[in-house]
Amino acid sequence: MGTRNVFFMFELLFWPVVGVLTIGLMTRFLDVTQEQRSFVLIGQMAFSVVGTCQLDVAYAVLYDFWSKSMKHQFLAPIGVRHLTIGSWLVGMLRGSLVFALTGILAWWAFRFDPLAAGLPATLALLAGCFLTAWIVGVLVCTLIVLFGGRAETAAWASINLVLALAGIYYPVSVLPPPAAAVASGVPLTYFLDAYRAQFGFPAVYSNAIPTGLALAVLYVALSHLALVAAVRRARRTGQLLKMSE
Amino acid sequence: MLAIDAREVEKTFRGGWMRRRQTPALRGVSLQVEPGAIVGLLGPNGAGKTTLLSILATLLLPDRGDVKVLGVDVCRNPTAVRRRINMASGNASFLWSLRPPEILAFYGRLYGVSGRDLRRRVDELIGTFELEAHRRTPYNELSTGLKQRLALAKSLLNDPALLFLDEPTLGLDPDVSVRIRRVIAELRRTRGMTIVLTTHYMREAEDLCDEIAFIKGGRILARGTADALKRQIRIGDIIAVRTDPPVPAMLADAQGVLRCVASDGWVECTVDAAEKRLPELLRTLHMEGVVVRGIEVREPDLEDVFVELAR
Ligand SMILES: Nc1ncnc2c1ncn2[C@@H]1O[C@H](COP(=O)(O)OP(=O)(O)O)[C@@H](O)[C@H]1O
Ligand SMILES: [Mg+2]
Repeated sequence: MGTRNVFFMFELLFWPVVGVLTIGLMTRFLDVTQEQRSFVLIGQMAFSVVGTCQLDVAYAVLYDFWSKSMKHQFLAPIGVRHLTIGSWLVGMLRGSLVFALTGILAWWAFRFDPLAAGLPATLALLAGCFLTAWIVGVLVCTLIVLFGGRAETAAWASINLVLALAGIYYPVSVLPPPAAAVASGVPLTYFLDAYRAQFGFPAVYSNAIPTGLALAVLYVALSHLALVAAVRRARRTGQLLKMSE
Repeated sequence: MLAIDAREVEKTFRGGWMRRRQTPALRGVSLQVEPGAIVGLLGPNGAGKTTLLSILATLLLPDRGDVKVLGVDVCRNPTAVRRRINMASGNASFLWSLRPPEILAFYGRLYGVSGRDLRRRVDELIGTFELEAHRRTPYNELSTGLKQRLALAKSLLNDPALLFLDEPTLGLDPDVSVRIRRVIAELRRTRGMTIVLTTHYMREAEDLCDEIAFIKGGRILARGTADALKRQIRIGDIIAVRTDPPVPAMLADAQGVLRCVASDGWVECTVDAAEKRLPELLRTLHMEGVVVRGIEVREPDLEDVFVELAR
């Protein structure tokens, strides 16, 4: 396999590995309990999975934007959903790979076993991560289609908002009340809560997974509609052509 | 059924603060194209050629007007249109790191071709467009001519009934342009494809197109075969003479001479009617004792028509 694939693997694994190592080492320095260590490592791994999958969804339009080839895919007889679902599938594949590898690393270096929660709980967490990634990724696509290059930073910044709100490194209860209220509107919050409950942390929400799922489905639909509307607008204003020259 | 039936199409681009700045790009364009024809949209930069093509290809929504492509309304059912059309432009661009077969395979999948069919189609197009030697070259390392050929190959992935070509020979060397033109003519002959192309090269339009539409300022100013256009825009005949000594002033003053341009020892006179003015001019020159070394009478070419229309 050529150099392209080496870069591909590097890009895929570099930040997740660095993330787990630094967070894990920090917990060693702070001398926290094994439970607390599990808590932040779960958050860090989920963050890596969401980030990877989210970028893949955003790549549905980002690469075409960068290479000024946007019009070709909108000339083809496919819907917006084909593009986003296609890249989401790739994102889930890469996200699962990231989860597996960071999981092995966390187990080897910090004695944290993500599978200790059982397979169903792990799959539920992954589902929550992937749905969150879809929502954020599709919203990034929407911004790019609407605003072009001016929205590019959104692709990199948006994921950090999720990080701050969904309680990646801390329980939502430590957030100031207004932020905590917003956090309870973020699906990933519920999935993290349910997964951490398997490691002995008191669950904040009852019915966390159904609530998270319901919220996620709602946002998935809304973000999809937003992107469809944005593409239609870009066809009207000529933005679609501008992104191809 | 017409391949294209566009009526009174209008499009204004809006930009700037509160979308106040307006650029009218099409001001009521109508275009009908018969199946199997090659039609050229000829006009200066900013005339609205790309805008019209983009509307026909469903990449841009018109403000007003009815547009039917292959019998289907482009606003109501764009997906049905997209299945049967394709487009290539001279300034096309693809993902920099992908190689020609990967680019073709990617877009082929968007057209629903897959598996062995896809591989066969890609190989066929790579062969037709002589990209065999560049199978492993990343897109950004291809020359302009190769990029254009790849863009053309991509536009044939779905074997379209109607093909739009936006400046297909833009920025190419003359010999490469000639080859691309040959490929375009071949497509119509072998596949009966309807082709609409834009260009600002007269020669290209004259060589390739059954019909030419002159577009300028968002309006179609004239339309017809190259010959019909030359007749329609009566700008007279051209008499070119080479004399010893050169006497451009004398020729310019002669009766019936509308315009006179001197270049390379030749003087080109545009006259109202050659059969009447040629004997008169020769008589004048003879009487003044000027020796005629060479003479040529010709019809105006498309370029002259174009200059006249673009004024
Ligand atoms: N996407 C766009 N956004 C805003 N203005 C545009 C856009 N595309 C074209 N225009 C404007 O519309 C007019 C016609 O452009 P175009 O159709 O590209 O001309 P041509 O292809 O004949 O050179 C020009 O004034 C151009 O500046
Ligand atoms: Mg143009």
